[in-house]
Amino acid sequence: MADRRVAITGLGVVTAAGVGVEPFRQALMEGRSRVREIDLFDASSFPCRIAGQIDDFSARKFVPKNYRKSVKVMARDIEIAVAAADAAIRDAGITTQGIDPDNTDIESDRLGCNIAAGLISTDLDELGMAINTAVAEGRFDMKLWGQTGINNLTPLWLLKYLPNMLSCHVTIIHGAKGPSNCITCGDASGHMAVGESARAIGRGVADVVFAGGAESKLNCMGMMRQTLLNRLCANRNDDPAAACRPFDADHAGTVIGEGGGLLILEDFDRARGRGARIYAEVVGFGGSCDPDGMDVTRPSAGGLDVAARKAMADAGVEPGDIDLIVAHGTGVPGEDAAEARAWADAMGDELEATPATSLTGMLGAMFAGTGGVELSTAALAIDEQVVPPTVNFSACAEGGELSLSAEPRRADISHVLTGAFSVGGQSAACVLRRVEES
Amino acid sequence: MSRRVVITGMGTVNPLAHDVEGTWRALLECKSGISKTELFDASTFPSTFSAQVKDFDLSRHVDNAERHATAGRHCGFAIAAAVQAWKQAGLADCDRLDAERLGLYLGSGEGSLDFDNFTSLLVDAWSENQVDTREWAELALDRMDLWREIEQDSNMVVAHLAAEFGVRGPAFNVLTACAASTQAMGEAAMQIRYGDAEVIITGGAHSMIHPYGVTGFNRLTALSTRNDEIESSSRPFDLTRDGFVLGEGASVLILEDYDFAVARGADIFAEIIGFGSSADAFRITDQDPAGDGAADSMRAALEDAGLEPADIDYVSAHGTGTQQNDQVETKAIKQVFGDLAYKVPVSSAKSMLGHLIAAAGATELITCVLALRDQVLPPTTNYHTPDPVCDLDYVPNEPRQAKLDIVMSNSFGFGGQNDTLIITHPS
Repeated sequence: MADRRVAITGLGVVTAAGVGVEPFRQALMEGRSRVREIDLFDASSFPCRIAGQIDDFSARKFVPKNYRKSVKVMARDIEIAVAAADAAIRDAGITTQGIDPDNTDIESDRLGCNIAAGLISTDLDELGMAINTAVAEGRFDMKLWGQTGINNLTPLWLLKYLPNMLSCHVTIIHGAKGPSNCITCGDASGHMAVGESARAIGRGVADVVFAGGAESKLNCMGMMRQTLLNRLCANRNDDPAAACRPFDADHAGTVIGEGGGLLILEDFDRARGRGARIYAEVVGFGGSCDPDGMDVTRPSAGGLDVAARKAMADAGVEPGDIDLIVAHGTGVPGEDAAEARAWADAMGDELEATPATSLTGMLGAMFAGTGGVELSTAALAIDEQVVPPTVNFSACAEGGELSLSAEPRRADISHVLTGAFSVGGQSAACVLRRVEES
Repeated sequence: MSRRVVITGMGTVNPLAHDVEGTWRALLECKSGISKTELFDASTFPSTFSAQVKDFDLSRHVDNAERHATAGRHCGFAIAAAVQAWKQAGLADCDRLDAERLGLYLGSGEGSLDFDNFTSLLVDAWSENQVDTREWAELALDRMDLWREIEQDSNMVVAHLAAEFGVRGPAFNVLTACAASTQAMGEAAMQIRYGDAEVIITGGAHSMIHPYGVTGFNRLTALSTRNDEIESSSRPFDLTRDGFVLGEGASVLILEDYDFAVARGADIFAEIIGFGSSADAFRITDQDPAGDGAADSMRAALEDAGLEPADIDYVSAHGTGTQQNDQVETKAIKQVFGDLAYKVPVSSAKSMLGHLIAAAGATELITCVLALRDQVLPPTTNYHTPDPVCDLDYVPNEPRQAKLDIVMSNSFGFGGQNDTLIITHPS
């Protein structure tokens, strides 16, 4: 990476294991699956009826009092991002306008925001309520809809579902007026957001950035689309905890997990100057894509081998320097195989000796939310000097050579390589480095 | 010294034309791309008109249109625009381009919903004032089509272009609402400066001219409802402006490392010298009325370029034609430019193109490149009644010859994300 160094000084993780970095740290080290039967809505006619669901969750607890009304115009994806931002900035010990408007210690135009999002699903009940006022003879009637029907929809309806609203709400709450973006490249988005934000700090246009992503596909539209893609595990509804098995010989599909992770990236000198705890340094980023990714029926790792090699080159490290791989591991057999090949291509002979881990078995697939959670995992692995367990892993699927274990492993971890890929064929990878005590 | 970033190819499909030169001619002839909405029956909506792409046929732009058979409407536009840009850049014959050093960075919108199926499900599975999700799922899994669903993901346009051009480098999509393609071009330029890629295919594509798109914007009262004066409905900066006109389209630019472009003997159309990004951090529904966020974006771009306001010869405005945007943008330009604000010409191509949402910024940057080339300013049409709070030189109603060296282009997104680019001559 160029110019100024970039520290990770805060983590905000929202998953089925809870809100905040400490519940996540515990879950990570404990390695117990949070996947269970869906009760957020009646999912009984979907082939897969289990997920990593966030229970009793509302963003109301994580916004300033005067912002609580706005929670009504937040899709669940937005609520997750808002909660993650609150957790992350508190963890970093930075006082924004959203934490205490009278004592901020960050200039608003030096505070950036880069939160990835997915295709946010509309609330079917809310839209259905309006649509069903425009029905004539049992059918939807466009003329009736244009005339009167649309008036039954709340004026701000569209704003609940714009993907940039994750970032926008966070910028408003925390007074983040610096560079602002919203990447929408599926599962690769979170790594992209962190890589891009690190570069922004590197070249000096921001000092602190909220970077990562959030998504919930735990709704009818999300479930329907993943079912049509044939990506979900449909044969383990009776044993949810064991259902999603990344890279395992018995893998049979992924499960949806709600979640997101935001990292507080900070100019290294600023972080050091204020005596902040530094989880790790972002030292490398790389992106790639598979030109055949357009055919979503053909599993692909989106050129992750190229992204990983680029990230290592950017960091100035070799495969032999990597102490841990935080893999993506969707648990979809074809995708696991493609991903395992990509890591093998990127790591060469070093793959076997390099411990690896995947979170999906524990929390489910978080799509645009996954990168921030995987990067948080990488940061915590450095912090703990432990390789987090890969839930549900017992033996490598054929062709896979990743060094995974269902048990936590102590290790000397200086460099972590992590990467992910999207349905559609984009990929991104980052390298984090341990920072010695000053 | 970081790498310089130049524009070596451009392509567009928009309501005025399906190519760059046709678009430019139409803009200089003050044509309007706005007409009655024909993509669906909008006759009873508050806004019955829009800026539609007419008579589009992908097979006229590519030999292998069947390869992209699943592409959504906006994705087809993007493929056509990208093929134009790629051809103009002469990259098809470039054997020194490493696919891993060829990137994509788009600001593409989501594809439109499978409206009929989606909406009928809401009716058929409606029970006791809510959707019976059990029934909905049964019906949906039977009726919905995999490709219609997946092509709605906004990264699928990237996927189609990656296939078309064999891209193996970094591939991003961003969706910062109406600022998306300006953001994409700016971030792409930063990637080239950093050294991530030699060439990046960038720009944006969007079509929200569908019942839910128009519903959403009509509910926000963001659209013009001048149903009896359709052609002149888009009136940026005019006192009588009453909202933007929803448009659709795609524009794609080839950005390239200057040294790489020179080495392969490419034609260079312009250089990107400044990029700024900011957030209003104000409200999701309103822009910061003081224009601070928009001003921050322009200032950041100037700082990035190492320029002063006096260096800017023209501002291509976001200029949507909503009361709020045009007022705020005017204030922001005054904040940044001070007394010079009254001297620098400002115009909005949206008066003719409509608002292409995610694709707006890239389309407008192409007009900036052509303005530099031909030393002429595209006008703001339909400007007849001055607004006392919008009192700058908006280049009203006819194009104007001007000496142009450096121009600025603004895009501001719903929710308060702002982006600004500054470009200059190739020399």
